[in-house]
Amino acid sequence: MIEDAKKRAEEILKAFQVNWICLRDADTGKVFWQGTEDISLPDIEHEARVPKNILKCRAVSREFSFSSKEQIKNFRLEQKVLFKGRCLEEWYFEFGFVMPESTNTWQSIMEAAPESQMMPASVLNGNVVIETKFFDEDLHICTSRVRLFYV
Amino acid sequence: MGLLSILRKLTSNPDRELRLLLLGLDNAGKTTILKILASEEITNVTPTAGFNIKSVISDGFKLNVWDIGGQRKIRPYWKNYFENTDVLIYVVDSADKKRLEETGIELYELLNDDKLRNVPLLVYANKQDLPDSLLASDLAQALGLPSIKDRAWQIQACTASEGRGVREGMEWVCKNFKLK
Repeated sequence: MIEDAKKRAEEILKAFQVNWICLRDADTGKVFWQGTEDISLPDIEHEARVPKNILKCRAVSREFSFSSKEQIKNFRLEQKVLFKGRCLEEWYFEFGFVMPESTNTWQSIMEAAPESQMMPASVLNGNVVIETKFFDEDLHICTSRVRLFYV
Repeated sequence: MGLLSILRKLTSNPDRELRLLLLGLDNAGKTTILKILASEEITNVTPTAGFNIKSVISDGFKLNVWDIGGQRKIRPYWKNYFENTDVLIYVVDSADKKRLEETGIELYELLNDDKLRNVPLLVYANKQDLPDSLLASDLAQALGLPSIKDRAWQIQACTASEGRGVREGMEWVCKNFKLK
C-alpha cells in the first residue's frame, strides 16, 4: 500500500508543475513580484524581493498557476506564512477535481494586520516564508517555499 | 466593487462560506469578469484550460469565486464543480448569435442538474459594446429566462472589458444568496 501511494505521488508530481507565483496589492491589482524561474522544482527555496511598501497595503493577494497532465481527484493545498519558522497565518483550500491537461490558478486574498500590529520591514526582511504544500487527498505531492525580502 | 468589499457587505453572517460558480461558453468573458472583480488588469486574458479561483477571507467569512474554462472539450468536467454552489453566474457573449442556441442548451443542462437545484442564477449579457449585440432583455427572451420558476434569476447587461455592469450584477448576488 505504501509503495502504491509512493508511486502515485511520483506519477502526479511528474505530471504536475507550478508555473508561476505572483504577489499583488489586492486593492489595485498591481503586481509586486512574479516568480517564474524554476518555480516548479521541488526542494528549492525561492527568493522574492518585494518593495517595502507592500507592507502598507490593506490587502495582499498571492496567486499560483499550476498545470497537471494527470487528472487529480481530490486536490487540496495548505498554505502557511511563517516568521522565523513560526506560523503567522494558514490557509487550507480544497480544489477537489483537477482536469487532465489543465492549467489552473488559485489566488488567496487576505487583509493585512492593522498597522499598529505590523512588524517593520527590517524585522520581517528575510524571515518570512510562504510555504505551500500540495496534496491529493492525504498524499503529499510537493511543497513550494518562497522567502520574502523587503527592499 | 472589489471582492473584499463584496465580502464586507456579507460579514454580518460570520463563519460562512460563499461559493460563486462562473460558467458559460468559451470566449464569453468569464475570466475577464473575474479579473474585474479583483481590480486586475485585463490584458493577457487567455482561454482557460482548467479553472481560476479567487478566495477572499475577512472576519471569518470566506468568498470563493470559481471560473471554469468553457471550451467544448472541457465542459463535461463542469459537473465536478457544482457542489455547494450558492450562486450560479452564467456569462453570455451577447454578440455571438451563432452560438445562442448552444449557450441555451448548456444553460438548461445546468439548471436541470440536481446539485444546482434552486441555486439563484445571474446571467451576464456581456459584450454590450459590440455592434449587433443583443439587448439584455432580448437575450433573456431568447434564452427563455422568464419561464424559470424554480429559482431567483436576474439578467445584467455588462461590458466586462470596460468594467461596466459587473458591479451591478454582484450587488444582485449579495442580495440573493441564501444562508443554508
